[in-house]
Amino acid sequence: MIRSLFAALFAAVVVTAAAQAEPLQLAQAAAPTPVSIGVLRLSSSGPIFIADARGYFREEGLAPELKFFTAAQQVPVAVTSGDADFGVTGLTAGFFNLAGRGALRIIASQSREEPGFQLVAYMVTNQAYAGGLTSLRDLPGRRIGMTTVGSTFHYSLGLLARKYSFDLSRVTMVPLQQLPNMAAAFKGGQVDAILAPVTLARQLEAESAGRIIGWVGDETPWQLGALFTSPRMIEQRRPVVERFVRAYLRGAADYNRAFNQRDAAGREVRGDNYADMIAILARVLQQPAERVAEGLPFVDAQGRLNVQDIYDQVTFWQANGQAGRDVDARAIVDLSFVQGHFNVPR
Amino acid sequence: MAPQAEGHAPARPLPFRGGGYLPTPRHGAALVAFVAIIAIWELAVRQRWVTPLFLPAPSSVLAALREVAEAGTLWRHVSESLLRIAAGWTVGTLAGLAVGFSMGLFSLARAVGLPIVSALFPIPKIALLPLLILWLGIGEVSKIATIALGVFFPTVIAVYSGIDGVPRSLIRMGQSFNLPWRDIVRKIVLPGALPGILAGFRITASIALILLVSAEMIGAEYGIGAFILAAGNLMLTDQLLAGVVCLSALGLAIGAILSRLERWLLRWR
Repeated sequence: MIRSLFAALFAAVVVTAAAQAEPLQLAQAAAPTPVSIGVLRLSSSGPIFIADARGYFREEGLAPELKFFTAAQQVPVAVTSGDADFGVTGLTAGFFNLAGRGALRIIASQSREEPGFQLVAYMVTNQAYAGGLTSLRDLPGRRIGMTTVGSTFHYSLGLLARKYSFDLSRVTMVPLQQLPNMAAAFKGGQVDAILAPVTLARQLEAESAGRIIGWVGDETPWQLGALFTSPRMIEQRRPVVERFVRAYLRGAADYNRAFNQRDAAGREVRGDNYADMIAILARVLQQPAERVAEGLPFVDAQGRLNVQDIYDQVTFWQANGQAGRDVDARAIVDLSFVQGHFNVPR
Repeated sequence: MAPQAEGHAPARPLPFRGGGYLPTPRHGAALVAFVAIIAIWELAVRQRWVTPLFLPAPSSVLAALREVAEAGTLWRHVSESLLRIAAGWTVGTLAGLAVGFSMGLFSLARAVGLPIVSALFPIPKIALLPLLILWLGIGEVSKIATIALGVFFPTVIAVYSGIDGVPRSLIRMGQSFNLPWRDIVRKIVLPGALPGILAGFRITASIALILLVSAEMIGAEYGIGAFILAAGNLMLTDQLLAGVVCLSALGLAIGAILSRLERWLLRWR
């Protein structure tokens, strides 16, 4: 009697458990997987904003949460610490030092310095210009203000030194940490030149504080930014990463179609979706559309990386002592999520 | 037994209840605590309880420190920073002493100075960096000024409240002995305010060290603050902590010097 009661009870428990399990699984399939993305409020993160606003992530069954940071170096730190699943930002020496210790993997491209895309200006003060600093070849022996050692500005300058074959140690790099400090030092004539993001450059130009003598994109194109995640994500949640990259690439394609088309003469050709896309960016960046339109970097429509360029970056930082000798570029990049990467070294 | 003995019991021995509340020197205790903390830290990293990426082991911090020392740049970092701290602290302290004394001694100076100090003290010095660069350039002057500004206001407050705290009865006594104003200041107010002023020095010395990092945000190539900033930007956590160790060592050294100074100046206590 008691035994059969137990048996009945047991059966009842099993049945209810099974009944509960069934809808639970269904609910899981329907409920979107939460993913968090570390981003800066910059137009270079446009593909993420567009994929979010157009619902591309949701269509892949993902519920994206954007985590906004204020400095490029915070994003890889957030992905390393697990506060964000993905990150998009410019590649710095600090990034490679984190990635080299096995904390990060690059999986797709973000923005790229390209000829005709004016994003970072070489700007010289009026005094320095009058004193003969009229072309980029004249930079040796001058004081150049930038944010930090190991920044993307530093790398651009390194490429420039190679292009015009001067020794990088012959320019005095003055690290000023923040853009306001750079602007102040520039206006006060404390530095001869700065590498200025387009908005600051236009502002200084309007104030007649100095002259623009070149653009990084025109001088030295390079793979500026990337989409990255943690190795843990790739190992344990590879399908989620694949779905995320698919949605990201749709955003990148939209972005590229709207902003990055050029005619034969190099003039901008606005895509048919321009108005929608610029509205999305203006809303997320909390800036007027005209301001956003001033500085829209190039983003590859298919998220392809210039892989050799990333290898070169690691070599450069190691040669200059900003990245550890143990950083292995090969281990940092995962080429399996995007097809057709450029310049893949053998 | 005790209740029966009531009334004509012999006086019970009472334990002495004074004592305590006096700092007695416990040499070595601090050292043991230091060693224990560092040992636990090293063990935690070795046992992989924390990943070295987030918190490098003391041994790798030491290795990073040795690397900088062997490259010959450590001394340059330390000496440039020491110069800035010494100059900035001296300028800020001298100005603070002058303003603090006049605010402590003269009612008019107090009426004018107190609201101004209250208004300017809470301004974060980092927020003023762009202005300081515009006014003073990116040379040594703006770095020294950053530290001096940070030191000035706490010194003013320490000096002013130190003078304010001198017992009125002592001053009244001096007055009833018909001491001239100059002697009251020199023999009563100054020594009476000195403990407070010296406590202020301790605080301002630490503030000078804290502000060193902000000061060296202004285009410094060498200096411990610049070294820490660069290591942070490059995510070289072992170097970053090596710089922090240097700062702590400087703090300890300055603290020890101030203790000596205190003992010598306050030997009348």
